[in-house]
Amino acid sequence: MRIGLLTEGGYPYVGGEGGLWCDRLVRGLDRHEFDVYAFSTDEAQEDAGWVPLPPRIGRVRTAPLWAAEDDGVVYGRRARRRFSEHYGELAAVLCAATDPAAPGPQPVPPEADRFATALRGLAELARDEGGLVAALRSETAVRALERACRAPGALRTAREARVPDLLAVAAHLERALRPLSLDWYEEDGLGAVDLCHAAAGGVTALPGLLAHHFFDIPLLVTEYGVRLRTHYLTRPDAPPAVRSLLAAFHGRLAAETYRRAAFITPGNTHARRWQERCGADRAKIRTVYPGMDAAPFAEAGESPERADPYTLVWVGRVEPAKDLVSLLHAFAEIREEEPRARLRIIGGPSGPEGAAYLGHCEALAAHLFPDEAEGPHSAGAGPVSFEEIGGPGPATPADAYASGAVVVLSSVVEGFPAGLVEAMLCGRATVSTDVGAVVEAIGGTGLVVPPRNPRAFAEACVSLLRDPERRVRLGAAARARALELFTVDQNISAFHGIYLEIVAHTPVRRLLLDDTGDPLPFAAPAESHVPGHWTDPASRAAPTWAMDTPVPATETTR
Amino acid sequence: MTDLGELDRSTPPGAADPVKALLHRHRDLCEQAVDPLEIAAGLEAHGITDRTAARFRHRDVFSLAEELYARVPRDDAPPRPAPATTSPRARGGWTVLTLLPGALCVATVAALRLTHGQTRLYAAAAGVLAVALALRAALRRGPLSARTDIPPRAATASWSCWLLGYALLGDGLLGTAVTGGPDGLPDGTAEGDWPLTVAPVVALALACAPAAWAAHLLAARVGRRLASSRGLEDFSASVRPVLIGVYVLFLGAVAALLTATSALLGEPPALPSTLALGGLLFLARLLTIHGFTHAPRVILAVTAIAQTTALATLFAARLPGCDALATPVQTLTTAWSPAALPTLTCGTAALILLIHASRTLARASAHIRPERPR
Repeated sequence: MRIGLLTEGGYPYVGGEGGLWCDRLVRGLDRHEFDVYAFSTDEAQEDAGWVPLPPRIGRVRTAPLWAAEDDGVVYGRRARRRFSEHYGELAAVLCAATDPAAPGPQPVPPEADRFATALRGLAELARDEGGLVAALRSETAVRALERACRAPGALRTAREARVPDLLAVAAHLERALRPLSLDWYEEDGLGAVDLCHAAAGGVTALPGLLAHHFFDIPLLVTEYGVRLRTHYLTRPDAPPAVRSLLAAFHGRLAAETYRRAAFITPGNTHARRWQERCGADRAKIRTVYPGMDAAPFAEAGESPERADPYTLVWVGRVEPAKDLVSLLHAFAEIREEEPRARLRIIGGPSGPEGAAYLGHCEALAAHLFPDEAEGPHSAGAGPVSFEEIGGPGPATPADAYASGAVVVLSSVVEGFPAGLVEAMLCGRATVSTDVGAVVEAIGGTGLVVPPRNPRAFAEACVSLLRDPERRVRLGAAARARALELFTVDQNISAFHGIYLEIVAHTPVRRLLLDDTGDPLPFAAPAESHVPGHWTDPASRAAPTWAMDTPVPATETTR
Repeated sequence: MTDLGELDRSTPPGAADPVKALLHRHRDLCEQAVDPLEIAAGLEAHGITDRTAARFRHRDVFSLAEELYARVPRDDAPPRPAPATTSPRARGGWTVLTLLPGALCVATVAALRLTHGQTRLYAAAAGVLAVALALRAALRRGPLSARTDIPPRAATASWSCWLLGYALLGDGLLGTAVTGGPDGLPDGTAEGDWPLTVAPVVALALACAPAAWAAHLLAARVGRRLASSRGLEDFSASVRPVLIGVYVLFLGAVAALLTATSALLGEPPALPSTLALGGLLFLARLLTIHGFTHAPRVILAVTAIAQTTALATLFAARLPGCDALATPVQTLTTAWSPAALPTLTCGTAALILLIHASRTLARASAHIRPERPR
């Protein structure tokens, strides 16, 4: 099976986000052939080069999203009219005053259809004539936007759009629609794959959407963070007109992507709720948790006795969203109950903001917990220590987690808590705040308290510190849960299953032609529709229980 | 872990409407939001989850956000004032860089005056190289720099160099070619066998600074017009006079510089041809920095080819039987002067580009700024 993997700013670039996941996927599913279609986000990334690629990758095609390649095509009158028609339609849909993501089951709203038609019209124009980049920047585009904003029935915020707002929207749309101008939509490009797997939503999934339109290639969308939500959070200072038009664009693009996708795989329930909210059909959604490599944590997980019984450990990147201040205040209350307790904060700052926050936290810790010595002749030390992995303290994250009896997480904002899952893999009892996907990850195998509530946090920690047996029980349960749900193997096998299901439901039927160009009857035998390679006995899709040695059913009755 | 006890603690006794307190706390977010999903995203960023939303009698954050969106007063809110446009400030860096080509050009001319023979050749070569590098640096930064997302075209630069070369050597060559010369290579003086016209080139090199200032002025004015105009028609109508004004300003600066350099160097001021060439190059650069690379390239190429052809006809007429070829250029040169040819070609080209620029640069789409990647 040939899979077109669509990524943005991640695989195969060095240090791209989500690169590790894609790499594991490609290496794990080595029975399939992968073609990577990647967008790079900036020049530095392009210069940094690629990670070493496994041999199963057939081809890699990349396109920069940060630079426009103007092909110098100037539209004639007919092409210009075609462009103006489709772009005007797109602008009219964006300005129309309806909620793009009205909840609940409903028939396809006419706006969604208009949006899809306009998008497809622009894509076809780019494929037939080229020159879309220049056209999207042209006066025709800006005029179409202005007309749509001034039309009766437009959004209230859109009606207030001034010229700079129109220009900002036009520039953003030009950037967002750059994938339309790519030359990937050919018979030997995306037309040759059996399945498009988009590693993110939004603009990244746009080539998959077009491949679906041009060649009926099924589309699978994996989202660990919902693009629409990211979009809302990244431009808080733009004028209202710009924000409302762009929100409409991204909302409709997301809805259209979800509508066309064969399956949608959110990385956690939080992403899943956003997707449902944006119009994703529940029947298509399969939550696939991100996989973590369990091997480095195996040793720590097998030896719960290595933990110091009075040590709390916090591991992560230091930044304001982690709310270490609240943790320190909670620890002050813990110390009142358990004077022997110690807190290790392990992790470096992220960015200048994080560095400033770390300094603030260190000052607060020094203020709350003055150094104290055991006797009159020994040097004193505070109960709170700030360390970094690879420094004089722990060498690996596993060592960091293993040193504590309880692992704590005090964030106020969190996506999928990877650190918490690592702690679970180490078999440590955890206390965390109820944010993001924490409850979903931890299940019942750790204590969860409301965020910004030091007293509740302290009570939970003290109860665990005083009850070693409960700690061990919770830690073992957490490790079992993490090994069940959050390993690389489950992630890869889930995707493997989804791939097979998609291909079984929506196989790409290609018409094979003979030398003279006539269709060739019976060119594709029935066996070619069987998933996997039918001549290879080992790779036949068979349930694992059928492959194992049979267990005699009568043994229990003997 | 829903904690209703905590809710009771955080809301004052008798407060029957906990959402109101929340609305008050996130007032900015709710007032600026353009749809409920934006409020939902903002609330989640503040740590509000579905379990927190349950305390406000809501199923999830989305329905809570919808209530907040519906309840926030917005119709009577005055429209927010247009954000103050920050006009790009003049920076020290590019001001110095734009002065550099002129300074180096003056230094080269001084060196040519002071040296003789072989040394003069070396001085000329070094001077040309230095001026070219300085010009390149001046066009890389500041208001004359092209947009980063559009690849530069080498053709425009080489045609511009050709036109400048013609301004330096062409008039002399044309003058001598009409009378049967030239009998030797240029020797770097205005009196020799193939005289050089240095003053226009020095004036144009010095005009880099006014050109940058004019482009800066145009950008600042356009930015202000963008912020203040409500419609596209409105904007176009108000930008056209600004463009013409800036152009006239630049031409005035070139005329002043040329008069000064001609007086200093003791050459007759070739005002029309220099003004035409300066105006042409300025417009070509203006169009290029706004992303219109096609028209300048074509126009510059046509102008340069026209000048070359005119020169070539003079020499081709020396072949037996081809006398008639030289007639148009000879008539032109004798009726006016050798400078009539560049004046005519560059002037026509500049006029065409001016008409083109007044249409394209007056459009709002010419001033789309490339979006910063996020």
